[in-house]
Amino acid sequence: MRAIIIDDERLARTELRKLLQEFPEVEIVDEASNAEEGVQKIETHNPDLVFLDIQMPGKTGFEMLQELDHAPTVVFTTAYDDYALKAFEVNALDYLLKPIEPKRLADAIEKIRKVSNGQSIQRNSVSFSPTSMLGEHDQVFVKDGERCWFVRLSEVRLFESVGNYAKVFFGPNKPLILKSLNALEERLDPKVFFRANRKHIVNLQMIEKVESYFNGGLLLELKGGEKIEVSRRQTVKFKEMMSL
Amino acid sequence: MINLFFTWLFNKLDASSLQRMFFFIEIGIIFSHFMREVIHRSAILLKDLRQQILTFILLTIAFSFFITCIVSPFEQLYQLRTNAEGQPVSYISLFITNLISFIPLLLIWNAIYFMYHFIIKTRKQEMDTIKLEALVRQLELNTIKAHVNPHFIFNSLNGIRALIDEDPERARRAITELSNILRSSLSAEKAETVSLQQELRIVKDYLALESMRFEDRLKVEFDIDEKTVNNPVPPMMLQTLVENAIKHGISKQMKGGVVKIISDIKENQHELLVQNTGRLNGFSKHTGFGIASTKDRLSLLYGEKASFEIKQLNEDLVEAKVLMPVVSTITRISAVSDVA
Repeated sequence: MRAIIIDDERLARTELRKLLQEFPEVEIVDEASNAEEGVQKIETHNPDLVFLDIQMPGKTGFEMLQELDHAPTVVFTTAYDDYALKAFEVNALDYLLKPIEPKRLADAIEKIRKVSNGQSIQRNSVSFSPTSMLGEHDQVFVKDGERCWFVRLSEVRLFESVGNYAKVFFGPNKPLILKSLNALEERLDPKVFFRANRKHIVNLQMIEKVESYFNGGLLLELKGGEKIEVSRRQTVKFKEMMSL
Repeated sequence: MINLFFTWLFNKLDASSLQRMFFFIEIGIIFSHFMREVIHRSAILLKDLRQQILTFILLTIAFSFFITCIVSPFEQLYQLRTNAEGQPVSYISLFITNLISFIPLLLIWNAIYFMYHFIIKTRKQEMDTIKLEALVRQLELNTIKAHVNPHFIFNSLNGIRALIDEDPERARRAITELSNILRSSLSAEKAETVSLQQELRIVKDYLALESMRFEDRLKVEFDIDEKTVNNPVPPMMLQTLVENAIKHGISKQMKGGVVKIISDIKENQHELLVQNTGRLNGFSKHTGFGIASTKDRLSLLYGEKASFEIKQLNEDLVEAKVLMPVVSTITRISAVSDVA
């Protein structure tokens, strides 16, 4: 596993490096001392794992993740932070409290190893560079107020345009992300995500029902119950794709 | 409603006609409201329990008489009540029967009314007590939290753990510094004031630890007038201000910055300044407690004679300013003469 450590305190990075010596399978490829540097280094190294501090000068760890199109596997490290811990408890993200307990670190690494083994087959089939298409097994980091999630794209059923933002529908949640629908469309795998109209991108695997609509359009009913109209122009494209 | 129910019950027991029932309901509604108004006006519910019971009994009897006086002539007039032989009853016996039947009815109505209010009041008092207790506990907790930020404690411990290999001597010193801070924060509640000198010792330990964490990102400057070192200050107040300067100033700056502590005497007042690199925007939301508690402590100790403000000094420098009275023998004498 190739890992990057992002923390603004040099001593904290040194300490984590030292703890990670016990785990030969984790190779630390680089370090960063702030979010800006962090984004750069994640994009150049494309690591399997990122140890990320939350409180950093400039941008917080959360804000940094929101900037990334494709979120890597992250283990958060924090000393004590009411606000952040609340977000973790809600969503069971993995986090380590500094000073890090070696046992907890071992558990976290074990957990990641298990998950990544399960995915390695799917991941290998896609050429993996940060500018490539986002596949359904990629995850994005979404934050909405106090809550935050790592969402697998396969779990997202719908993107809805709201001004400069996009509303992401998954499970019972629909938080906003600061990305335009057009930018999303360019990055999403067209085999899975379909631009139904000006305002919506739907996940084709999440369609429950297709009905014909007036004007020769279509009405898609998604698994969450949302009804999305397919514009006339896109209906032709939709039918083509589906008949294949 | 209660009255309606009782009137109904009363009537049923008496096996009376519909007409009489309506009559009673009307009378009941009018009088119970009238009685309620009397209770409200005289504020009986605010008096003590024994007085309440006494007024309650007197009120019941008085009202029973009152109602009977009004109702009886009506009944007499419309011949509503007849005796066993179907003959109209005499006015006296009608009056007495009415009185006897009204007393228990009003007694029950009043008992329910008073009981209801009594329970509501007791429950409200209980709730208030619980709320107050919670508030006190919260305040105590907040004071302790405001003094030493747990984020700082754990980050320091993490730094110290790294230093144990890298620089054992520095690690040893860091543990001493951290102990001093924790100890003084625990005893801060006990002393009303400490000398500036004592407070500065803690602040220096604190800044030494923060320098260990931030390394070259933190620069510290002191400018302390010798005349002020023995002046009393509220314990952990300067510490809280310096902590805020680091938390909201330095730690937000990518390249770090300066924390400068100035103490001098200006216009016969002790002026304490904490300047730090940073900007004030969105400040009040996060340091609400720090600012509020500093203001509270100052006004508790010195009243109008002390002040606190925080402002943007220039482009990237924030200044927190505390003005306190200079407590020396001279001012003490003048304070006494003021009183005289």
